[in-house]
Amino acid sequence: MNAHETALHQTALWWARIRAAGPQLVDADGPTPPGLMRLAEPGGSRVWLTTVLPGGAGPAVLDELDLPRPVLEQPNDTARVLAAVLKSCWLDPSGPLWPGATAPFGQIVATFEALTGHDEVVSHRAVVAAVRRLSWSGWLLWDEQTRTVRLGPRVATWAATELSTLRELWRSIPVPDKAAVRDTETEMDGDTS
Amino acid sequence: MTATTGAHPVFEPVLGELGERARDEVLAAFAAVEHSPEPVPEIQLPALRDATLRRSLDALLGRVGRTLIGVGEQAWTSAYRDDVAAELAEAGWHSLPEIDRAVLVLVLIHSVAIPRSRGTLPGDAWTSGQPTMLAELQDASRIQPTDMRAALQRLRAAGLVQLVPQRAGAGQSAAYLPGPQLHRLTPAARRRLQEELILAAAPSSPLAAAIRARHGSTVSVRGATTGGTA
Repeated sequence: MNAHETALHQTALWWARIRAAGPQLVDADGPTPPGLMRLAEPGGSRVWLTTVLPGGAGPAVLDELDLPRPVLEQPNDTARVLAAVLKSCWLDPSGPLWPGATAPFGQIVATFEALTGHDEVVSHRAVVAAVRRLSWSGWLLWDEQTRTVRLGPRVATWAATELSTLRELWRSIPVPDKAAVRDTETEMDGDTS
Repeated sequence: MTATTGAHPVFEPVLGELGERARDEVLAAFAAVEHSPEPVPEIQLPALRDATLRRSLDALLGRVGRTLIGVGEQAWTSAYRDDVAAELAEAGWHSLPEIDRAVLVLVLIHSVAIPRSRGTLPGDAWTSGQPTMLAELQDASRIQPTDMRAALQRLRAAGLVQLVPQRAGAGQSAAYLPGPQLHRLTPAARRRLQEELILAAAPSSPLAAAIRARHGSTVSVRGATTGGTA
């Protein structure tokens, strides 16, 4: 392999790794492979790398072509939990989404409750399941130790036009009462319903 | 922040050689085969029907470590390039936990390997219409039912298994089929899977001996040993 072929191969490998395992956290000193977006992790020593597709090559094309979308379990609750995380972690919607702030799990549950009107038990179960699904796929970051949630690097790939819709959505999501934010015990590997 | 304007450093070298219309058609086909959970019928997209555009599409996929796969006579999907998949696997990039891989293998044995050995499932595909009952999965393994349920849930979310739609007759146990992602296998990957399964299921058969001879003894001993304990 000559130098050009080696470079092409390394780029292909990076894209395949991110397809297989989601956005990758790497040392900030390293280079950014072609076509990847670089997102600084708070602290400065590490960055997330994620792929950026050209316009017209993303999953939105499936709707235009009337092709089936990937199946998502509990799509409605999963979307509402992502909305609750957006409300809790995107403190200033006039600014960028990334990196956002950290929010305790109890706050996500309380925001979900305020959004859906579900009771605490139902909300807790729905949020546990959705947080697991969303963190597998890189839409949010779950910290088991501190039991906190942040927005994941995938949110940074939303286009500017999508952000204006999201800002409207953000404004329509209610803020939960302070009293409703409980410090609930959370075991992510337990309940799978 | 998606790059909707300007030249994309990975895609442009291929797209730049195409006219405006062909470029849009190739990009749409790229999105369809990469993101659709099912193979895409070629009747829906000119870049899948036309052999010249299909070559551009395959070149585009190749730049991101992927390749175009024909499914049946008239549908297409995409998969990892064999060389890329080999390198990722070698470096330990398994995206599935071990227990999920074990459950997936059980579904493939019941739904594909057994019907194929009986001659009721032609071809070399790893999809099938022969359901695997949940009870068969539980009887065939020592995996705890809660772990089994969690693994099946993850495999379903990944499109690697699918639930068989409820058939007539209430009270039947759940049944699973290999999921649509199993279409995303290159001919070489399908052959490798077939060989691994023969080494696992019948390590002392003449067929297994032939596979070992072709691969060299180191690989075969490891394959047979892993198979015996799986």
